[in-house]
Amino acid sequence: MTARGLGSLWMAFCGLVLIGPIAVVSAAALNGGRTMAFPPEDPTLARFGDFFLHEPVWVRALSHSVTIAVGSALIATLIAWPVAYQLWRRESALSRALASLAALPFALPPIVFGVGLGFLWAFTGALGSVWAGVLSHAMLFAALPLTTISIGLQAIDRAHLEAAATMGASEATAFRTIVLPQTLPYTLSGFLFALILSFNEFVVIFFVSAASYATVTLQIFNSLRNGFTPTMAVAAILFIVVSLVVFGLIGRFGNLPRLMGADDSR
Amino acid sequence: MSLASVDPLPSEAEAAPARAAPGLPRPALALLSGVLLVLAVAPFVLVFVISFGQNEDGAAWHWALVLENYQRFFVGLDYPDTFSTLYLERLWNSFLYSVLGALIAVALAFPFAYALTRRSRATQTLWLVLLLSALSLSEVFVVMGWDILLSNKSGLPMVFRETGLTQWLKDVGAFPILREWGLATPRNVRFKPSVFATLVSLTYIVWPYAVILLYAPLSRLDRSQIEAARTMGAGPFTVVRTVVVPAVRLPLIGATLLLFVYLLGVLVSVTVFAAPPEHTLTVSIADAVRGSALNAPFGAAQSVVLLVVASVFLLASLWLTRRAEATR
Repeated sequence: MTARGLGSLWMAFCGLVLIGPIAVVSAAALNGGRTMAFPPEDPTLARFGDFFLHEPVWVRALSHSVTIAVGSALIATLIAWPVAYQLWRRESALSRALASLAALPFALPPIVFGVGLGFLWAFTGALGSVWAGVLSHAMLFAALPLTTISIGLQAIDRAHLEAAATMGASEATAFRTIVLPQTLPYTLSGFLFALILSFNEFVVIFFVSAASYATVTLQIFNSLRNGFTPTMAVAAILFIVVSLVVFGLIGRFGNLPRLMGADDSR
Repeated sequence: MSLASVDPLPSEAEAAPARAAPGLPRPALALLSGVLLVLAVAPFVLVFVISFGQNEDGAAWHWALVLENYQRFFVGLDYPDTFSTLYLERLWNSFLYSVLGALIAVALAFPFAYALTRRSRATQTLWLVLLLSALSLSEVFVVMGWDILLSNKSGLPMVFRETGLTQWLKDVGAFPILREWGLATPRNVRFKPSVFATLVSLTYIVWPYAVILLYAPLSRLDRSQIEAARTMGAGPFTVVRTVVVPAVRLPLIGATLLLFVYLLGVLVSVTVFAAPPEHTLTVSIADAVRGSALNAPFGAAQSVVLLVVASVFLLASLWLTRRAEATR
């Protein structure tokens, strides 16, 4: 067998193991009873109705998940933009420090950041409010749009900016007409990365929600002691489908290999 | 700055300092710094300060400057009468799980990432979509999947029994060894709870992350060196061993360190798959701050210890990345 053949075989094996747990969970959502049997017993689609419509716990949790994911991804992008722009326009100690600070929460274990945010919101009286959860996730995931926007900014030809400056364009005009349009796909990618990761996160939300509300993943985490149920498996299907669609869109309309650090010239 | 741009018209730069400093205006910078200080720095500062606080009965605590929480962590509250290593063991477990999970994931991810970079751009994009989706999948769902796959009734133990593998293991005498490792009951193999199940889950969680981290350095590899080695008659495995691995040595170590830090924060896999004596620091932090123990200052002290360990390894990884970039 050739080396390339062996490589393909290994890739196929890894793909199978990667999909295995996801496939099993997806099948478990069809169970008629409350157990996570595989293959599913007494197959039914009723759990989908339960998750999306009938059980208030899950309907509420899903709406919290969506609110926090969309809100935090927006704010994360708004925090990341000026940091990335400043770092790109002016390589100074301050701009580097700001970039490091913005990336810090993502790099360290989230449980420590979660504990700290819990204290912070307790002091400001916001512990347990949904907007505190939104801000917490925004800061946790600001590193993602920061990275993608920085990659986008580096791709801009600085000669365009110099030409604009020579022709009398102010920094604001150059930003609007050159920088913003060229970095839009990267901004969108960063926003979507933050959105997906926030959607799936639960450790930080566990500490900042203080049991006054739950997202879908936190609700599952809170019910761990009672075991998993097929309704939770429906959530798993929803979450994996959303991820596949979003990353699929980035892959279709953006440049995933470049975003992941592959060199375009080779 | 080049020499040519230093001399001509220095007065112009002095006359228009605003134009010489591109970027955000000062008030915007001040606001941005403020936001980052409150949201990104203050939480860590609070954890550090509160770790010296004192716990009161009934979940309350007050500001203080005592070392009692750290004493409890390192030697136990009743020291010197008794010496408790309970929390040091928790830390050791965190360390061990993270090291093993990171090493296994990188070892399994390297051949995959190398094979991936040699495929067409379209194939790479498809795999990246799958990898990123798996990477972002919440730990609760990963644990849910392995919980079913390793369960006695409908997972691998059932497959072992039905296919006769259990009987075969008994016949060849491997069963006592499995029982000694805690992977079997008298009747069949059993994977939960076990260190094995925990490691499977941890490795699964960081494997896509490992591929993504190795993907960049491997796809930037200088192809001409590989071609040259091939032309001189080296087999593909010799090329990987003598050209590829040495070229990505630093990223390999850097990736392992990053995965290690990532695994330090894992919570659900350990809660579900590990027996209580094998629990990690994250479990007892969650317990102290929001769970049954209700001792926020002690939770903060444990967080500080975790933070110190994570920071040391993170800095090592950053240093390696810098070196890798400098030598490229």
